Formats: sequence, C-alpha cells, structure tokens
Amino acid sequence: MQDLDFYFAFASGHQLLDGLKVTLYLTFWSNVIGLTCGFLLAMVGVSPIRPLRWLYTCYIEIFRCTPILLQIVWFFFCVPILFNVYWSGEFLGLLILGLNLTAFNAEAYRASIQAIPPAHHDAAIALGLGSRVTALHVIMPQAALNAMPVLVTNAIGAFQQSALVALVGVADLMYQGKLLSTQTYRPIEAYTSVAIIYLVISVVFGQIAGFFERRNELYR
Amino acid sequence: MPSFDITFVAKYWQTLLMGLGLTLEFTAICIISGTLLGLVLALMSRSQHLAVRTVVRLYVELIRGVPVLILLFWIFFCLPVVTGLEIGNFLSAAIALTLFMGAATCESFRASLKSIPIEQYDACTALGLTNRSRTLDVVVPLMVMRAIPNLLSNTVALFKESSLASAVGTVELMYIGQNIANSTARPIEVLTVVGILYFIVGFILTRLVSIAESRVLSRLAN
Repeated sequence: MQDLDFYFAFASGHQLLDGLKVTLYLTFWSNVIGLTCGFLLAMVGVSPIRPLRWLYTCYIEIFRCTPILLQIVWFFFCVPILFNVYWSGEFLGLLILGLNLTAFNAEAYRASIQAIPPAHHDAAIALGLGSRVTALHVIMPQAALNAMPVLVTNAIGAFQQSALVALVGVADLMYQGKLLSTQTYRPIEAYTSVAIIYLVISVVFGQIAGFFERRNELYR
Repeated sequence: MPSFDITFVAKYWQTLLMGLGLTLEFTAICIISGTLLGLVLALMSRSQHLAVRTVVRLYVELIRGVPVLILLFWIFFCLPVVTGLEIGNFLSAAIALTLFMGAATCESFRASLKSIPIEQYDACTALGLTNRSRTLDVVVPLMVMRAIPNLLSNTVALFKESSLASAVGTVELMYIGQNIANSTARPIEVLTVVGILYFIVGFILTRLVSIAESRVLSRLAN
C-alpha cells in the first residue's frame, strides 16, 4: 500500500471548496423549492376536490416509487429535448432535486396537518372563527411545528442526495473529489476528504436540528 | 421535438426485463445481508460494554452521515488499495448497500427494541428463562414483529438505492437502460420505460408497506 498523504488534499482544498459551494448552492435552492412548493402541494393534497387529490397522489407516487438517480438522469436527458431548452447543469440539478424534495416535504406537511386532532376544528367553529383564521392561526402553526423534524431530515437527505448530480457531470463536491482522485491517483485521500466534509456537515446539521427539536418538545 | 415512438423500446423488452431481474436479485442479496447485519448491530447496541455501544453508534452515524454514492465509490476505489484484494464492481456495490442497509435496519430494530414493554423482561425473569432463551425466544420475535413495517420501507429505499450500483458499472436495470438510451440516442422513450419498470415494483412494495403497517398496528392494539 502506498503512503497516505493528506497534505495534498489540503493543497487542493480550493478545488474541493469550489465543489462544496456548488453542493451547498444545490442544497439551498432545492430546499427553497421543496419547502414552498411542498407546502402548496400539500394544500392540493388536503383539498376537498377529489381530482386534485388524485393529482397529488400521482405526483407523490411517481417521485416516491422511482430511484432518484433515474429521476435525475431522466431530467437531464429528456427535459432539454422535450422543452427545447438549454439550461446549465446546476440549474437542472437544483430543479430536479427541488421537485423530488417537494414530493417528500408535501407528505410531511400533509401528515402533520392531518395529525391535528379534529377537536381543534370543532373548537375553532365553536369560537366562531372563519375558515381563513382557522387555517392560518390554528392549524398552520401547529402543523409547521409537527412537520419540522421531518422537514429537517429531508433537508439533510437532499444535501446527501445532491451528490448524485455528479454522475451527470455537475461539478459539485462529489464530482471534484472524483476529479481529484483521477488527477492525482490518490483515491483514498480524495474520497476520504470528501466523505469527511459530507459527514461533518450532515452531523452538525443533525445536531442543530436535534437541539431545536428537544427545545420544541419542552415548549409544548 | 423529435418523433416520439415508445413502441421501439419493445425490441429491448427482454434485455430490460433481465435488468429488472438483476436489480431484484441484487436488492434481495443486500436485504438479507443488510438485515442480518442490522440485527446483530441492534443487539450489540444493548450490550453492557460501553465500547461496543459506542462502536455501533459511530458506525450508524458514519454510514448515515455520508451519501451512499461516496460510500460506494470509497469501497470501489479505495478498499482494493487498502486491503490489496481485487473487489469487483458487483461485490463493492453489494458491500456498500449492505453497510447502508445495516445502518438503517439497526435503527429500525433499535426503535422496536425500545418499544418492547419492560413487563416482558420481568415476565422472563419470573419464568426463570436463561439469558439466551430470553433473547432468542422472547426479545427477537417481539422486536422483529414490531420492526416489520420499518424493515419493509427500508426495503423500498434499498430497491431504489440499488440503481446507484450502475455508477460503478454493475449491470442492472439502470445500467442497461442508460446503455440502450445512449446507443439508440432515444433517451426519452428508454428512460421512461425504465422508470415505469421501477415504478411498478416500487409501487407494489410501498403498498405492501402500508398493508403490513396496518396489520402490525392492529396486532399491537389487541
């Protein structure tokens, strides 16, 4: 076995840093899409109109029952052909990651809305609150609090899954790690450094989320 | 937009079905090995020795903290260098997904272990069961039953993650689909059909999860 030399990984730190920036950019925007569109989609999912609920189920099932790698590859190959657009890899990447996250977040929102006891609806009616006030001031604040842990888990999941876009040539952290390993013939140092970066960020975010979750528990 | 002709994929149906078969086979192998690993890890996490518990904790955090893709690449590119053994793409993908499944099932088993009421343990003591008998005849069956819904959803996750094996050149559905798409220059039709194949299996599996969930819940309620 050759000698390990992690110094070189530091020396090429800027390359990994460039990749990390792309990864964080993808994570950030896919979460913005996932949190907002997921919420809107959940509204469709709990609507009283049946065809709308079917639409919701179709969307969710398509994204839940196929591998995300396939979704990414499909999106990268087919969207430019189907819609005759030439977007950058980063943009396509954040779109598909965002659409995927939308499905999972919508389920989280929907579950937390439906987990609110019906007694709260009854109480709102008894107090003579309108449906708008009930939704905004009674249901949503509780639902948001309930959905929080799952949303954070999904956000960390999106961060990790963003590594898959490296396979279709987006220059994210994973891609730069791969490049570094082939350029320098030092796969161990390159992949280990990349793994450590992913690990540290995931664990730190997980700990922060856990802290807030415990605080919310106390708050209740 | 170029002409869209889904019927031409029919020419490749045998190859695609073979790919699906390979994907299912690969998934089954990793489910069995991963679940066994998870079971052992979950039992280890109840050990009296702090060191053993810490090792399990670190393992789970490590595997869940890195993307499966980097785990796979690490095993594929680095493990041969570290160990000096020649590990093929199939084996490295199987190892990576087994490790991933092991961490996920360990968490499922641990959660169901925690949900076993303390009275069960008291009853074992009252009946004078040995440690071995208590673990094998009481704790493990109870734990497995409670873990079934979770294990099935891990199975769905693994089925989907198995497509990653194509990244290191393991021949399965995703790999075959991408190859046909590239060689025929008709990605839309081929990838859509591959997606439908994944969807059919994934959909059936998720339905099984919900059925199992309601069954176990009703059994626990009684």
